[in-house]
Amino acid sequence: MKRMLIIGALASLLIGANAQAADKLKVVTSIQDFASLTKEVGGDRVDVTSIAKGYQDPHFVEPKPSYLLLLRDADLLEVVGLELEIGWLPPLLDQSRNNRIRPGQAGYLDLSNGVSILDKPSSNVNRSMGDVHPLGNPHYWLDPVNAVRIAIQIQQKLAQLRPADAPYFAQRLNDFKLRINEANKRWLATMAPYRGAKIVTYHNSWPNFAKYFGLDVVGYVEPKPGVPPSPSHTFDLIQMMKANKVKAILMEPYFDAKTPQSIAERTGSTLVVMYPSVGGAKSGTDDYISLFNLNLSNLVKALR
Amino acid sequence: MAIGHRFLCIPILITLTAFPAFAQQAPATDPKIDQLEKKLDELLRQAAEIRQQLDSIKGSQPEAVPDLTKVEVPPAAATAATSTETPAKETPPPALTDVQTVENVPNPGASKVFNPDVSVIGNFFGKAGQKNTTEFGEERPSMQLEEAEVAFEAFVDPYAKAKFFLAAGPNGLEVEEGYANFIALPKDFTAKVGKMKATFGKANTWHTHVRPWVDQPLVIHNFFGDEQLADNGISVSRDIANPYNVFIEATGEVFSGSAERVFERVSDNDLFYNGHLKLFRELNENQNVELGTSYARGTLGEAGSSSYGGVDVTYRWKPLQQGLYRGFIGRFEGMINDNPLASRNLKGFYASGDYQLGQRWFAGARIDAADRLTDGAIAKDRGVSATLTFWPSEFSQLRTQLRRTKYGFLDKPVNELLLQLQFAIGAHGAHTF
Repeated sequence: MKRMLIIGALASLLIGANAQAADKLKVVTSIQDFASLTKEVGGDRVDVTSIAKGYQDPHFVEPKPSYLLLLRDADLLEVVGLELEIGWLPPLLDQSRNNRIRPGQAGYLDLSNGVSILDKPSSNVNRSMGDVHPLGNPHYWLDPVNAVRIAIQIQQKLAQLRPADAPYFAQRLNDFKLRINEANKRWLATMAPYRGAKIVTYHNSWPNFAKYFGLDVVGYVEPKPGVPPSPSHTFDLIQMMKANKVKAILMEPYFDAKTPQSIAERTGSTLVVMYPSVGGAKSGTDDYISLFNLNLSNLVKALR
Repeated sequence: MAIGHRFLCIPILITLTAFPAFAQQAPATDPKIDQLEKKLDELLRQAAEIRQQLDSIKGSQPEAVPDLTKVEVPPAAATAATSTETPAKETPPPALTDVQTVENVPNPGASKVFNPDVSVIGNFFGKAGQKNTTEFGEERPSMQLEEAEVAFEAFVDPYAKAKFFLAAGPNGLEVEEGYANFIALPKDFTAKVGKMKATFGKANTWHTHVRPWVDQPLVIHNFFGDEQLADNGISVSRDIANPYNVFIEATGEVFSGSAERVFERVSDNDLFYNGHLKLFRELNENQNVELGTSYARGTLGEAGSSSYGGVDVTYRWKPLQQGLYRGFIGRFEGMINDNPLASRNLKGFYASGDYQLGQRWFAGARIDAADRLTDGAIAKDRGVSATLTFWPSEFSQLRTQLRRTKYGFLDKPVNELLLQLQFAIGAHGAHTF
């Protein structure tokens, strides 16, 4: 009898473990940063995959059918919103054959709803202004406060989809908050001497980052969002950078370094490859905190 | 007594401050008032010093480090995210005796959110070189706005999207495609109902602005015409799960049987049927390959039944990190037509390669071969062409195509330079891969 009980208990444990493994929430995110934050909160109760890689421009992702295989089985889709994914996500969603993750359903989470958004146009925009985002700048995850807001929204959504695991998600969120809070103190202390420093960025991807760390973005390598650098704009930018003593040009790894490198050489500034997303570099950007550690370390070297 | 004296002094002080002229004229002041004045001055000086010290402390201190453990999401988002959960403690409703009117700010533009996405794509065509009556006829001018594609797209309801593509050109306005796309059917099915291009191969499904060339490949032009194989019908597709990490999609279609020169129904029951099987697999994150096979069968007037078979292969290379600047697509599409009007099967193919030279520059080459049925005889057409495309932005493109075509029954090849400017306004939905 006792032996049977032990076998029964072991079997139920095994079955329970298997059921739990199979019962992981399948989460698909549009960018790797959200995947990282979802792992922070969801731990081993979630199975997370990102569509765009961290070293890829998230504006231009090919809507490959292989992504349909991910979306078809997903319980939750997390998106940046603000039309960042407008060029590739809608056809994928239409073909996903998964009603749970369509906008308006419980399995669709637009994380722009609960964060601070910058660059919301105050007047009508049109395409003569370049590839502008009419709903505001979508690169909002590059602000640690927004990262916590994103994590909170993820925790709330995971708890909604898996109420039984809500305490687990809440605990992991608190752990993450404590860790990022400690890291944030370091980050701000590191950047304190450079508050007010003037910088130039390739694309307008860094407004949240710059505002948070008190950097002054005085120009862009692109003459207008999405428009490649032109000789006349580059000439004007060089003059302006010299006049303002700009020390650093920030550029994502997926842009061509030729023009910004040339500008840096002519102005005595430094071209800094900044990783806009988790996974942007081969190493050192495995999660959100390490992403900021690496970016700030690289930036400070240029601003010194 | 002392308190009463102090009270007496304050109005006097105020009076003296308010009327300095009178004070100057006043007789010798009370020594106690002098004492009070001195104390007041001293207090004011001390207050100023403290203020200065506070200001200097504020200035030298770094900005307060935000405590990220206390960060909250705005209430609206928090409510939205947890809307199905039990609400937190609610504030009790006010007594009805305290109810006030609510000022709702009208938003006259709110109803417009239900308007469909609208876009217009202009296709300006130009041509130089030798006259090509075989393909373009006698009347095609050397330049013209060949087409303005007007597209409307919106959700009909939770189950379907509607898409309309109207093509306005020199010959008038026609519905190029117009269908309801049911995207939320059970058992992983999707369906389209309306007028649409048949899912036969790749090039037959493309709209003008998606095509990587100015013209249609000879095999499309000769077999289906430049309007492609399109008709009114129903299309149903389903993906097929498999353990090989391959995306497999099967599509079955039935059409009314009226596609000019391709299928012409004699009776209402002369429908034409089309089937397509697509397999897509990523070789690695930078490369993928797609294979497709198609078969269509229907009636070609009194001549009897006609059938088409096709295979298509697409290879893509796009390194993710340099994806803005580099990429290559190789394409092959072959077709065969068992045509009752021809003495043998008609065959044709094209093979092409398009390489991305830079962020805005693309170069390509294509070879063509296709039989052409003309008055019961079969002409063998062959062609080569090269393209150079410049994208000023995502919303416009300028393309040149140099092509040399040797048409069957013509002695000399035809050399042409084709030019094309395409420009888009409005919100045009992204296309499927």
